[in-house]
Amino acid sequence: MADKKRYGFVIDVERCIDCRACLVACRAENDVEIPYTRIWVRDLGLKGEFPELSRTYVPYNCMHCEEPPCVDVCTSGATYKDQETGLVLVDQDACIGCGFCVDACPYDARHLDKTRGVVDKCNACAQRVEMGRAPACVATCLGESRLFGDLNDPESDVSKALKEAKSVQRLVTEDVNPGPNIYYIHGDVMESGVLPREPRYTAAETFWRKLAIPAVAAGVGLSFLGQAAFFTKQLLEGEKEFEE
Amino acid sequence: MSHEEFIPLAERKHLREKQIKKHNIANILTHWFNAGAGALLVLTGLGILFSPRLGIVPDIWLEFVRNVFGGTANLITFHYTVGLIWMAVMTFNILVGFRKYFIPFARNRMMLDKDDIEWLKVKPLQMLGFVKDKPLPPQDAYNAGQKIYSYVVVVGALLIGFTGVIMTFHQLVPWPWLLQWALPVHFGAMGMIFAGWIIHVYMGAVFPEEKEAFFSMFTGKVSALYARLHHSKWYWRYVTEEAEWEDSVLEKGRQLQEEAAGAD
Amino acid sequence: MAFQGPNLTRREFFKVASASAGALAVSQFVPPRVAKAAMRSGILDADGDGYIPTMCEMCVWRCGVLAKVKEGRVVKLEGNPDHPHSKGRLCARGQSGLMTTYDPDRVLKPLIRVGPRGGGQFREASWDEALDLAAESMLQLKNQYGPEAMIFSSTHNLSQVQFENLLNAYGSPNYGTQRSLCFNAMVTAFSLTYGVEEPARDYDNVEFILLIGRNLLEAISTSETAALVEAVARSAKLVVLDPRFTKTAGKADEWIPIRPGTDSAFLLAMIQVIVSEELADCDFVKQYVVGCDGIIDAMSEFTPEWAEAKTGVPADTIRRIAREYAAAKHNALAHPGWRTSNFINSFQTERAIATLNALSGNVLTPGGCLIAENPEAAGVPLGKPPQPPYPRTTSLRLDGVPWRYPLVPLKLGIFQELRDAILSGEPYQAKGWFISRQNPVLSIPDRAKTIEAMSKMECIIDVDVIMNDTAWFADIVLPEASYLERYDPLMALEGKVFIRQPVIEPQGDARSALWIYKQLGERLGLGDFFQYEDEEDYLRQQLAPFWVDLEILKTRGYVEPDAQREEEPEITFNTPSGKIEVYCETLGNAGFSPWPTWEEPTAPGPNEFYLLTGKVGQHTQTATQNNLFLHQVEDKPRMWIHPKPAEARGIKNNDWVLVSSPIGQIEIQAFVTEGIRPDCVYMTVGYGHISKGLTTAYGHGSSDSDLHVTYTDPISGGQALSQTYVTVEKA
Repeated sequence: MADKKRYGFVIDVERCIDCRACLVACRAENDVEIPYTRIWVRDLGLKGEFPELSRTYVPYNCMHCEEPPCVDVCTSGATYKDQETGLVLVDQDACIGCGFCVDACPYDARHLDKTRGVVDKCNACAQRVEMGRAPACVATCLGESRLFGDLNDPESDVSKALKEAKSVQRLVTEDVNPGPNIYYIHGDVMESGVLPREPRYTAAETFWRKLAIPAVAAGVGLSFLGQAAFFTKQLLEGEKEFEE
Repeated sequence: MSHEEFIPLAERKHLREKQIKKHNIANILTHWFNAGAGALLVLTGLGILFSPRLGIVPDIWLEFVRNVFGGTANLITFHYTVGLIWMAVMTFNILVGFRKYFIPFARNRMMLDKDDIEWLKVKPLQMLGFVKDKPLPPQDAYNAGQKIYSYVVVVGALLIGFTGVIMTFHQLVPWPWLLQWALPVHFGAMGMIFAGWIIHVYMGAVFPEEKEAFFSMFTGKVSALYARLHHSKWYWRYVTEEAEWEDSVLEKGRQLQEEAAGAD
Repeated sequence: MAFQGPNLTRREFFKVASASAGALAVSQFVPPRVAKAAMRSGILDADGDGYIPTMCEMCVWRCGVLAKVKEGRVVKLEGNPDHPHSKGRLCARGQSGLMTTYDPDRVLKPLIRVGPRGGGQFREASWDEALDLAAESMLQLKNQYGPEAMIFSSTHNLSQVQFENLLNAYGSPNYGTQRSLCFNAMVTAFSLTYGVEEPARDYDNVEFILLIGRNLLEAISTSETAALVEAVARSAKLVVLDPRFTKTAGKADEWIPIRPGTDSAFLLAMIQVIVSEELADCDFVKQYVVGCDGIIDAMSEFTPEWAEAKTGVPADTIRRIAREYAAAKHNALAHPGWRTSNFINSFQTERAIATLNALSGNVLTPGGCLIAENPEAAGVPLGKPPQPPYPRTTSLRLDGVPWRYPLVPLKLGIFQELRDAILSGEPYQAKGWFISRQNPVLSIPDRAKTIEAMSKMECIIDVDVIMNDTAWFADIVLPEASYLERYDPLMALEGKVFIRQPVIEPQGDARSALWIYKQLGERLGLGDFFQYEDEEDYLRQQLAPFWVDLEILKTRGYVEPDAQREEEPEITFNTPSGKIEVYCETLGNAGFSPWPTWEEPTAPGPNEFYLLTGKVGQHTQTATQNNLFLHQVEDKPRMWIHPKPAEARGIKNNDWVLVSSPIGQIEIQAFVTEGIRPDCVYMTVGYGHISKGLTTAYGHGSSDSDLHVTYTDPISGGQALSQTYVTVEKA
């Protein structure tokens, strides 16, 4: 009984023709400011020598990870993994634009929109998913390369595609595996150009975590202990009637 | 305890009954405004800090405060609104009456002089139980410890205000690094003030010697005995001014009497 | 006053656009006319939000679109699942249609030139003034020089029928479509061979696909592109002949980097193998094909060995592919192609393709992958307004059809000949040019000549949506409403009738072509030829044979009239013999080879390259380079060159290079890649705009029209765009 949904993407790599309809559809649907983009089609480059050549395209966006490093580091909790859908979303009204999450994302899938001062990224067109429609990129994909659905539902398009696929990959390395929910089938995409990097934490965040918090904790702790000691002493000494 | 001067009993009783004004209405209102705003700001500010990686605030508080305000966005809006109001009021209070209220306040109650430095060397040792015999130098209306705390508050408040404005208007800030550093600085300054505040509360409200100090923050008044024992520099300046004032009133009365007699 | 589009950001323009569209501040929302009508019929809800069905115009495929409208603005475009050309999906250009409609460089008011031609100085005018001036000029020209002095050119618009109406009613024979730059070879060959201009393709059961060029994955025709991907995923074998490793070649099972100009050699050899090894079902095919008897002899010289010498492709490969093709029988498709204006011998290439398909029987078998009928007609006879007969035109057409080119279809013409005739003044001097939805300045080879031709005009009237390069040189610019803002005549496709209707109020003063042509027609005294009140009246007259209410069509986006589909009669072809004419007597009578044959093409000299040009999936010819959404996703326009010749010239990736042809020179950045034959270079068409009214496109990239030499195939009139040879050197 799959109450909890796990929405994710399955990309059939051999069907992607790099037409980039998905990029334009996403921009139109989500009003993404030029020059930013929420999604990409990565070109792994021309391989081989004339005339033995080959080329692979990798549609790419936020992986809606199971253990997202971005959620872990978000100062205000503006980014969160939605309980019902499993999508990683950003409440842009609660985002304070610090950008810690941008560095933390191993896939560089997030960006700080300087015109609005908040972080933006693929939200799997949650506003469409809510109405039972596919994300804009999936709906328009000419080659039917992009698939989307509930990975926990065995009857969904994505689950069926995974079951029948001859090869399945996810963009993970030995060191970095936040549990991405984009699966790549029928293609070899494990290349350095698209594989994730270690999450990065900015100097400010490290300073905060390693210095500022312990310092404050120490300071507050000491003050508290100090006054507690004197207060205890006071209690032990008892009330003095004639105090000046 | 730490005050050397011996005052005979009768005088002591008289002094105990006499009340003198230590805090004017501006001081009192500003103090409690700071306290109230500060409380709201600390509680909501901590409530914003959701990051599991930083792990500062317990979940229970984070959930609660979001429920109360209906979401993170509203919580943040509330926090910076209170913050901005607090900054506006403080700025207003300081600037209006800058010469009449603030300058004398700063001169006597904030600046450290030689006696204060000496006090700072002796008092902490005495509190720990050492050098009980050494006399403490006379202190002004706020003792050196309180002055130090005021520095903590001022510096902290300036940092908090500055970084707070940066974060509130993050849409207009073109440098991400400025925003990123504003966060731990804001937090650190708050922590600094908070640590000092714990001592401030203890010393002002709980510590038996300072009981009058606590009530004076409501009534504005302390007894002359307390003033003379704990804040003698201020006390004697006050007494001198009072005497001068009394003299001038008497002089005025005499003049009026002479005029009345001359008119007859 | 120099022309300056408003200098607005996209966000600001949305505000301006919706303000001028008549939608007032939210507090006083007064629904404009379009929205009111849509709300009455229920497609938009009380807030003015909803989806309105219409059709795309970002290319000629015309996918069905569901336009999402919110508060008087169109905010998203979705493919209409009921439309056979989109099946619910839109390509990058289709999705970017918003930015074409809301492009800050739109021309929204009629403009009249005030400075020198090409100076970009216009003044705004009212429609009355502009139309009066246009009609006055056109009448004056007619009286002084005769109607033939006025050239009418337009490419392929849903309003084409009314454009042709204007042209014919005015009485000029000079009709310039851009077709000769594109598919004259294909249409002429298939018309002569099958009696059908463009046979339809069906990929449902195809097993073997041979693409000769036809870069379907980049020259996107949405549904066909999707069908190809599906077929390949289903394990149909795809073989691509292309000198360049296109994205289509990238998905092929076999990419054959054939020498340019030799496609017909490859295909003729395939035919030779199939007929000599008797791989086709001759008895079956014989009933429907003229030429089965003589074909073995006719093809005897075109052996794979002979073809290897011409094409550079090993004979064994050719032989094997021929056998694989034949083995797939009627599930083998040799794609007719699309832009087939490559070499003079491209006509023969197309004849060979038609022959291959005939031999496989695919066009003869129901359910085969080629269907000898034009899908757009498909048994739905639309109505039309009544009109008197057209005046007879006695003068010769300037483009030499048919008096110099007897086999070129009249409705295609030869555009480059037309342009050259303007320059030469033979057989008479053209004096006026009426252009609609077309950009000859950038599309005809040899841009300098086209601009010079324009200097011979007394009057140039241009109907366009934006200040494109041709509008830049016009005397009068008439602003057409964008496709999201207008009605056009209905489109019939596979038994359904689709509507294009406005989803928002036209911005500024822009109007539909239907309206513009009628207004002009009336002022020209030709009102009888435009007997419709307004656009909706025209559509109602089109629907008249079917007893269907226009409102239903507007709500649903299409109707499926009960057209009588007769029982499949005997398979016949609209040729003189009623059969497929592999042996074509018409060609023979006109003095050309009646069999598909080999014509030796020219070749580049020792230091020269073949100049290849082509399309990308992110732009449409010369029309979209100003669209900000597409600009964001395009590849930088560079010239492809193989590493060996690049190294020999000291050219590294991204270096600026000078590319020179016999007629011009451009400067462009190099893209050094293994994905092209060493004797070829490639550039994408459509860049290098010279209109300063295009903020994004102006000066971006270079134009192939500055390099291409004009050649004309004497049979089909098609251009030979790949016959231009260039030198490349580091700048």
